[in-house]
Amino acid sequence: MKLSRRDFLKLSGIAAATTATGGLASIIPAAAQDEIVMQWWDHFLPLQPLTESVFAAYKESNPNVTVEYSVFSPPDLGQALQLAYPNDQAPDVHALAGISVPIPALKNEGWFASMEPYITEEWKNSLPESIFIEGRTTFGGELYSFPIFSFRSHEALVWFDKEILAAAGYDPEVGPRTWDEFRDAARKITENGNGTVFGWTQGIGHTERMGATLTRLAQLAGISGDIDWNTGEYAYGADAYVNALEFLVSMERDGSLFPTAITIDTRNARSRWATGSGGLFLDGPWNPGVLQGNFPEFLDKIGVSQAPVPDLDTPSYAYALPKSGDFWISSQSDYPEHAAAILQQFTSEDYQIKLAERMDQPPLDLDTVAKANVHPTYAQCMDFFRDIVRLSPDPLVKNPAVAEVLSRMNDIRPNLGEIVQGVIAGEVSDIPGTLQAYSDQLTAERERAITEAQAEGFEVSQDDWVFSNWDPTADYTSDMYGA
Amino acid sequence: MAALSSKNGSVPAALVHSRILSKLWQDRLIYLFLLPTVILFGLFTLYPMIASFLLSFQDWNGFSREATYVGLANYQEVIADPQFWLAFTNTIVFMVVTVPIRVTLALILALILNNPKLPFAGLFRTALFLPVVTTMAIIGVVMTFVFDPVGGPVNQVLLDTNLISAPINFLGRSSSALPTAMGIHVWKWFGVTLIYWLAALQTVPEELYEAARVDGANVFQTFRHITVPLLVPFGIIIVLITAIDTLRVFDLILTLTGGGPFLKTEVVEVYIYRWAFNSSIPRLGYASAAAVFFGLTTMFMAILQALGYGMVRRMRGTAS
Repeated sequence: MKLSRRDFLKLSGIAAATTATGGLASIIPAAAQDEIVMQWWDHFLPLQPLTESVFAAYKESNPNVTVEYSVFSPPDLGQALQLAYPNDQAPDVHALAGISVPIPALKNEGWFASMEPYITEEWKNSLPESIFIEGRTTFGGELYSFPIFSFRSHEALVWFDKEILAAAGYDPEVGPRTWDEFRDAARKITENGNGTVFGWTQGIGHTERMGATLTRLAQLAGISGDIDWNTGEYAYGADAYVNALEFLVSMERDGSLFPTAITIDTRNARSRWATGSGGLFLDGPWNPGVLQGNFPEFLDKIGVSQAPVPDLDTPSYAYALPKSGDFWISSQSDYPEHAAAILQQFTSEDYQIKLAERMDQPPLDLDTVAKANVHPTYAQCMDFFRDIVRLSPDPLVKNPAVAEVLSRMNDIRPNLGEIVQGVIAGEVSDIPGTLQAYSDQLTAERERAITEAQAEGFEVSQDDWVFSNWDPTADYTSDMYGA
Repeated sequence: MAALSSKNGSVPAALVHSRILSKLWQDRLIYLFLLPTVILFGLFTLYPMIASFLLSFQDWNGFSREATYVGLANYQEVIADPQFWLAFTNTIVFMVVTVPIRVTLALILALILNNPKLPFAGLFRTALFLPVVTTMAIIGVVMTFVFDPVGGPVNQVLLDTNLISAPINFLGRSSSALPTAMGIHVWKWFGVTLIYWLAALQTVPEELYEAARVDGANVFQTFRHITVPLLVPFGIIIVLITAIDTLRVFDLILTLTGGGPFLKTEVVEVYIYRWAFNSSIPRLGYASAAAVFFGLTTMFMAILQALGYGMVRRMRGTAS
């Protein structure tokens, strides 16, 4: 129970006045039950107005329920939760940005409350079958959370100023499709830029994102991702990773990279790109949504194309892990029934259409975008994602005990994103050697963590990272785990 | 015990106890006024230090309710980590380079500004002190634009004056990123050291300078034989305070370079922060071990410095 100061004073006054008459016991609980203040923490800044409208609608039907809503940056949210849970001050509902601890490990720590006692069968049956994933949204078959976004998404789309790209000799309706075209376009844009416009603007200083971008480009070059699902081994030393990194560094060697890029983050890079400093920019589908809020005058100039690939003759795919739930009800919440009732609003078609209109991550059902009023590039992105993004296998789903290994693994530094930054900054010259060394270090660290987990009685091995029935061209669906 | 004390001719313990209580009661107002400081110091300085020390022997991710006791394993891992030593080296280099520059430059300017005949001395002092009152994190962000290779004012001036032919990526190259951060830090905190020196100069009696002038001493001789000897004790303190100052560069480095490129500007504070809050699985015990180890190392260096100072004084005493 959380009371505002005014409520507290009001109650104190009533309590003081009624103690003498012996009415305290009957009045306090009644008054306290009337006013409910819930805490809600997430990191979805672009969705803030939409989320607030859901709370407002809920308050209309439940006037005694107020939701105090706090939007954090992802790292701040992680740190806030890290401090809140051990001190029994967790919010009623929260997102999990800024926390890399596997969700099953957090579940084992007792963080979450199940939605199951508070939801109807009808609502549960209305959810797509694909979201029920043990260890990601369900535990022991009970629903704890669900995603509001689709897994079909990636952050390596090529965004550009159509006029600048056209001036470089490329059709802005098509964009640069291959690594060679991207490099050539970047070079030409730089030549036309007279030292103020550069071919490629990116937040290389945002190392976490750069690691993800490199993995995405490597996937499109033919590897399953950081893990080779055929062997279960780390794949950072593979040709696809080496070639993708060579591709990124080639722009720096050509002088096409926006010079400040090495130290700035993605938000800063987007601002510089939108204010005319750069031609090409790798980013996710949320780019038009952010521009609409911050640089609306630039929105009409932008175009987008699919992530660049090594060549057009070989089919390319990107792989995304099954989506975990986006919002979690805390086990420390006094109002899980209200939390679950509010959360159920997030799957309605009306909400999903409005969600699409915020132009953030793609909504759970990509088809909703067609009914929404969105920028044409956002709708284009959905087509790109349908074409190339496939559902990846997930070791955590295959064996939930994998969480015990992941939560025991220490970071290896420099990490992938820091290596990308180091290579582009000219601090690392041996790309294959550095990537292979990183892969070897991770392998050793995982072996150590597996041994430790096994010693504590968990049945887990490197085989849990092997998926021999994986088809690179198709989604790895739930039924394939048992096959 | 009281009987034993009496036999030895000492004051009985009970009496001592009573005197202490009486003294405490007499000075109760003093202690009352000290209480807020003691409580705040205990809560926000002493308690975190003790907690950090205890945590350094545990493995704790900050999420689980229970931490595992691991003895000295965290310390062994810290000592074996090359990234820690890189951060350690950066921190020490930062200190070794910036302290002499800041202390010397501030002394020179203090001597100039201390001249009562200098016009606008107050204005100059204020101008030099102004960066001190600005937030470090804001300076870090602003300086990324000031040193921007594309249109940043520093590069623009260097290009316009033909001192360089192509823009310099001050913060994007390891060779220039740390020196740039050092320069910004010196500029930011220069005013504090200047104030210290000005305060120290106020303590030199004017009569000594007058006597020196009467004896025909020139400016250099006055500085060498009057100012310097009287400023040495202050100088030791100023160097120590400045050195401790340079160990606190977390906000500057995080906002200016984030420790990059490729960890080349990472200092120990940023290293600790990364492991405690910014790694996939936070390692609060490990980060605490790094903090304690670094704290002990700097304390050891400060003790060495103090011993060295004492030795020099004794040698001078023997020589004279």
